[in-house]
Amino acid sequence: MSQDATQSNVVLQVDNLESYYGPIMAIRGVSLSVQEGQIVTVLGANGAGKTTLLKTISGVMDPEKGTIKMDGDDIQSLEPDAIVRRGIVHVPEGREIFPLMTVAENIAMGAYTRKDRSNISHDEEMVYSYFPILKDRRLQRAGTLSGGQQQMLAIGRGLMSHPKLMLLDEPSLGLSPLLTQEIFEIIVRLNREQKVTMMLVEQNAKVALDAADYGYVMELGRIVMNDSAGVLAASKDIQEFYLGVSQDENQRGQRRWKQRKTWR
Amino acid sequence: MTQTLPPQEKVHGLMINTDLSKGPFYIDGMDTTPKLFRKRCQNLGDRTAHREKRFGIWRSHSWDDYFTRAKYLGLGLVSMGLKPGAVVSILSEDSKEWMYTDMGVQCVGAICAGVYTTDSAVQLEYLVNNSDSRFLLVENDEQLDKFLQVRDHMPDLIKVIVINRDGLHDFKDPQIIFLDDLYRIGAAYDAANPSAFDTLIDATKPEDTAILVYTSGTTGKPKGAMISHGNLIYSVSAGLHDGPVFDTDDQLCFLPLCHILERVFSVNGPIAAASTINFAESPETIFDNLQEVSPQTFVAVPRLWEKIYSQVAIRIGDATGVQKWAYAQALKSGAARAKCLADGKPLPIGTKLAYRFWDFALLQNLRRMIGMDRLRRGGSGAAPISPDLLQWYHSIGVPVLEGYGMTESSGIISINSEIANKIGTVGPAVPGSQIRVAVDGEVQYTAGNVFQGYWKDREKTAETFTQDGWLRTGDIGTLDNQGFLTITGRLKDIIITAGGKNVTPAEIENKLKFSPYISDAVVIGDKRKFLTCLVMIDQENVEKFAQDRRVPFSNYASLCAAQEVQDLIRETVDDVNQDFARVEQIKDFRLINVLLTADDDELTPTMKLKRSFVEAKHNKLISQMY
Repeated sequence: MSQDATQSNVVLQVDNLESYYGPIMAIRGVSLSVQEGQIVTVLGANGAGKTTLLKTISGVMDPEKGTIKMDGDDIQSLEPDAIVRRGIVHVPEGREIFPLMTVAENIAMGAYTRKDRSNISHDEEMVYSYFPILKDRRLQRAGTLSGGQQQMLAIGRGLMSHPKLMLLDEPSLGLSPLLTQEIFEIIVRLNREQKVTMMLVEQNAKVALDAADYGYVMELGRIVMNDSAGVLAASKDIQEFYLGVSQDENQRGQRRWKQRKTWR
Repeated sequence: MTQTLPPQEKVHGLMINTDLSKGPFYIDGMDTTPKLFRKRCQNLGDRTAHREKRFGIWRSHSWDDYFTRAKYLGLGLVSMGLKPGAVVSILSEDSKEWMYTDMGVQCVGAICAGVYTTDSAVQLEYLVNNSDSRFLLVENDEQLDKFLQVRDHMPDLIKVIVINRDGLHDFKDPQIIFLDDLYRIGAAYDAANPSAFDTLIDATKPEDTAILVYTSGTTGKPKGAMISHGNLIYSVSAGLHDGPVFDTDDQLCFLPLCHILERVFSVNGPIAAASTINFAESPETIFDNLQEVSPQTFVAVPRLWEKIYSQVAIRIGDATGVQKWAYAQALKSGAARAKCLADGKPLPIGTKLAYRFWDFALLQNLRRMIGMDRLRRGGSGAAPISPDLLQWYHSIGVPVLEGYGMTESSGIISINSEIANKIGTVGPAVPGSQIRVAVDGEVQYTAGNVFQGYWKDREKTAETFTQDGWLRTGDIGTLDNQGFLTITGRLKDIIITAGGKNVTPAEIENKLKFSPYISDAVVIGDKRKFLTCLVMIDQENVEKFAQDRRVPFSNYASLCAAQEVQDLIRETVDDVNQDFARVEQIKDFRLINVLLTADDDELTPTMKLKRSFVEAKHNKLISQMY
């Protein structure tokens, strides 16, 4: 095992997960664990199975095999709403906010599963404190927000269910480098200040590894490498394939071909 | 032609020597591959010689095309200074250009040497310099970069030719040209000297060296085995004698052409048999390509046969109960039929009917699924294959026959055939050859395909021959009373334990390798108190095992570390230990927990572990066990 699975503060434990889209096996036996208070990132190219992994964890898809444990209890057979009640919230790829509702309504939707109605307004203030721009736009229809603001809204909406674990699917998708930086700063702050454990899937390996404590690399539905973010960022394969660092300049001063991956 | 040929006879459509024990050897009246190649191209003209996949479509290339390309390539090199007897190296994956180079170079009387694409720049430097290569063909920018890294150390190289221009359009260097330039130079030379190519082909002689094949060299530097035209003509004659290939056959080429097995089977064989070669796109697509091509005759290494079997086994494992039952019944009837055929007994009517039914209902579909519905004959070589695996293939109606050979014997020494097959042996000596077993157990061989010696290495050459001129294979084996050869190990790998017991590690290793979960193993114990071994697991099958039993793992290292996987290998080792005496039993083992690739020193290009490198690199693991 990668991270020590026997430690008591494991929030999420995934073992031997297999998920299919029809006859196509999208996840081929994935095991990973997320510890409390960590930011864990899952890196991988298009079609590696990252989104499927998050969807399977949050209950949108049912796994064919394998177990998902949240705080030691099996959750793989639960409905998505029950999983939200358990404290896992999924911020999907491409935001998927409600475009015709206002910002405030969108945020209120995030509290749908909550029973403690009295604290909701307090939490709304908390969300607005992290994303002041949303407060300014609270009465605007969400569909008219910019991409970055929509991403903030999606994260803010997710926060409203008081999650223990937040699954973030490509928060940097379609955002400018500056906005990406900003979103990730907020993600790190939420992790430190609100104690939200984060599991984020990213194609932008640089920002993800900067923010994360631990990382997994997925390829073709399998995990090929996992280690602390620092070790990953220093790995030759990660540098070549995910960080775009050209290894050694050759005689021609340019290189088109890639070396073979070994994941060591 | 005025010379008189030795007596010839027609075998499977080819005229070859009636008596294959004496040279010179002829195929259809030709004593060198270039002459035979010219004859074939002239007769076959616009028929398809080979196919290559481009942008997802199989494209055909004619024998005319083959000849023209080889001619221009060869003459282009000649006009730039290539002399007969000089060496040209090629560093490329299998492709039609590889064959054009091979034929072009041999037709002009020069020698062609292959370099593995997995070799490093330093290895390339050694091979080019050791072989005194005057020209080097490289596949693409990636391989070109290897040359550029070490170019200063290759003073004798005249020119480097790049086959594929992609990514190099603005690249200019006086020493480097592209293949299309070479074709142009060759065409111009041909126009100016129209008879030059024919004259050069006519000048090739059976005793001339045709190719240099560097042996993987588990110890020391690689050595270049010199193989003559006569050697190759003999290998092809003897090979096709017992394993016929016809001009309607499709073949799939996927092993490196640098390897003697693929070279003889996919370049020289098809020229003689006029069959069609199809180039697999890449090592990853072999199974798809196999289905698309569905070859009539196919030679592979045990690893590939194992993989195909594993894929079927995995699918059956996930099938329904009824399907599993049907599969078991079909296998049973297939096994019964295969046993009768092997014993040479007539089929009982019940077996015949049962097989006919299951063949129709299930086995033919299974064969189609793995791309073997047209397969007449499969071959396995380059490493030992599990007898159980061969039984399985025979049961599903795919005759896979094991053979044996080495670089120094131009690829073949013995092969099993449909008429003489004994599973577990590597077959009888090929026609015209002789095998004997020396007092120390070494297999020795003499025939028309015994190589000429190592390039510029008299000492090593002398070591390879006995006093009376037989080839020392370095393998230990036995011959049974019907002349079938069984190989048990390598002579120089014999382990002498601290207790003074001689152990042939290959015997134990082969038994271990027959497990679907073990891809390769190396037994350790020379001058030590007891035997241990290092094991390389089969990733796919062990992952499947772990997945089915819900053994969590994240990557290769954690898979190897999993207790259940350790136990699984322990069980296999214990099983294998049963077959051996106490002193020959494996006391402990370690798994190599990094996924090795062909780029690693520890693996040969055919993915076998190299004992010396493994022992050196994994010293830590070994010392843990003692």
